[in-house]
Amino acid sequence: MLELVFILPILTGIMASFLPVQLGRGVLVVSALLHLQITAMGWFGTLDLASTSYFKTAPEGMLVLLVTSFIFLFISIYAVSYMKETEMDNEPIFIGCMLFFLAAMSMVALADHLIVLWIAIEATTLVSAPLIFLNRSKAALEATWKYVLICSVGIALALLGSFFITLSMDLGNVHVPLTFSSLTAVAGQLDHVWLKAGFIFVIIGYGTKMGLAPMHTWLPDAHSQAPSPASALLSGALLNCAFLGVYKVHILMHAAGMGDYSSNVLIVFGLLSMVVAGIFILNQPDYKRMLAYSSIENMGIIAFGVGVGGLATYGAMLHLIHHSLIKSSLFLSAGNILLGYGTKLVNKIGGMARLFPKTFGTFFAGFAGISGFPPFGIFISELLIIIGAFRSERYVSVSIFIFSLILIFAGASRIVMRMSFASTDQKVLVEEKMMRVVPSFVLLLTSLALCVWLPDQLYQTIINAISVIGGTVNG
Amino acid sequence: MIQLSDAILAVVLLSVLLSLGSNRLMALVKIMALQGIMVSLTPLFLEHHQNLEGGAMLLFQVMILIKGLLIPGLLFMAVKKVSIKREIVPIVGYHASIFIGLMLILLSAFITDRLHLSMPKDHALLLISAITTLGAGLFLMMSRRKAITQVIGYLTMENGIYLIGTALAKQTHTMYVVEFGVLLDLLVAIMIMGIILHNINSAFDDVDTALLGQLKD
Repeated sequence: MLELVFILPILTGIMASFLPVQLGRGVLVVSALLHLQITAMGWFGTLDLASTSYFKTAPEGMLVLLVTSFIFLFISIYAVSYMKETEMDNEPIFIGCMLFFLAAMSMVALADHLIVLWIAIEATTLVSAPLIFLNRSKAALEATWKYVLICSVGIALALLGSFFITLSMDLGNVHVPLTFSSLTAVAGQLDHVWLKAGFIFVIIGYGTKMGLAPMHTWLPDAHSQAPSPASALLSGALLNCAFLGVYKVHILMHAAGMGDYSSNVLIVFGLLSMVVAGIFILNQPDYKRMLAYSSIENMGIIAFGVGVGGLATYGAMLHLIHHSLIKSSLFLSAGNILLGYGTKLVNKIGGMARLFPKTFGTFFAGFAGISGFPPFGIFISELLIIIGAFRSERYVSVSIFIFSLILIFAGASRIVMRMSFASTDQKVLVEEKMMRVVPSFVLLLTSLALCVWLPDQLYQTIINAISVIGGTVNG
Repeated sequence: MIQLSDAILAVVLLSVLLSLGSNRLMALVKIMALQGIMVSLTPLFLEHHQNLEGGAMLLFQVMILIKGLLIPGLLFMAVKKVSIKREIVPIVGYHASIFIGLMLILLSAFITDRLHLSMPKDHALLLISAITTLGAGLFLMMSRRKAITQVIGYLTMENGIYLIGTALAKQTHTMYVVEFGVLLDLLVAIMIMGIILHNINSAFDDVDTALLGQLKD
């Protein structure tokens, strides 16, 4: 009954919506712990799916599930302290929606059926909308409206794409269940024109959700307006889930012998996202928006890595893990800063190193990590992607790739330096607390630890996930 | 039977043109109810969906209830609450909109013709009206300022996608669980949009999306 991984959060979510606040917080953390346990049992094979007609434990899905479950645990611990501090009006709704969100994302990770995957991804949009809307300010209202409308339209196009893939099956006279695993097995017989059309619509649809430029416009608004724990979850977990949808169709294209085409599309979208993120990050007045643009950049890197193939695919998968860990840690630190200074504007913030030494530590280390400095995993993953791109002789693309990385580093470092060291006469509104610092530290440390020691099973799962599209570690 | 399905599709096309040309929101909601019912009836009158089992019948009933009654009902309440009667200054005028709608029909006929699909012969009109509905929905979302008209545009678009699904896929109706999931998502989406709509109205005293312009770079 690995299905428990999404059934459990639904049940506890319903429960938490009706419980008093104190109990609800406990339910949140306990559910997160249980979820991680069920995920771990799934990983070690002690718990299996009850029915395989709609769901399957694909290696890429298990990877996303593990990352989601892991960061959710620490975000939930942070959220408990965050909720105490901010005295939220709608705490039961917040806790309930967080859990529903977890359920929807777990469902995405396990989904094998084309339309079930669509249902789950659309569900993630719907249950996360109340999270963004929580502050009820005019800006939050605008962000939610954009989020729901743009993502719904995008995902509707993905549904159209899924229908096209179904059509390609009908035209090829293939009669198998509409699941990715069975379709991949018979991919050669599918009608190629319609499969291609399906891929285009799916990448536009799920790409909207993943934050690929030029469909990214909702992302900076939503990520900056949501309460910080929700932003961390949106950035660290939701984007991966959307990527999973794109990746599964990419595998299908590869199996059908059109891998080159889909790879090129992924590379173009990836590079475009990186360049757009680089341009908008340069003079960014708002640090949460800066982090949001950095997420767009990183999703671009992952798309690029998968598109390049070979060694770069391995890099992309590593990047997915490390980006989730570091970015969610950064958003949690940003939450502390927002509580402490009461503003999202970079210009009004200074002297973080003096006023908030611990938060400064996590924020600065996170910044170093996300920019690709050595002790953290992103250094390795970006290096692997660059080497992979050189090996496949994509010199123009790799120059754009490196140029965008430099651009983003330049933009972000100016902001982080200012926030950390500039002189200020600001007063501290809310002191930092251990419970709100430790989760960010642990997430960063995990990224650090995974560089030194990658567990064998994790390594094997990554290899299994990428070998179907020709990704290897040996170049 | 075949003529009946053509008649239904003609009504769908007409409802699309009407929705492009009407400026009264109440009328728009009524048109959407009609369109929803017609769209959910379409598969019943198609040749390759003739052998319906009990499960499928149930699904169609639920679908008519949701698309024809529940969602228009929600929209109706939303229009009443925000107490606006009509779209005042659309980005593209009504006559131009209807003209664009007619052009969309021509374009869809052209696309359908070019696709060379080996489909049953009576499906040409189905695909034409499906693509027109999809395009008109997208156009409606882009050319109107009021948030509620954008929701209606989204709904039109979903109807179009559903029609395309019935036109193209022969196996769509074998898994009721899946169909039901899609329907449920749609319903919740409209509900959430309705709630935000209500909040936009109380925060800005209007549901004009031009007011939503604070967040940008």
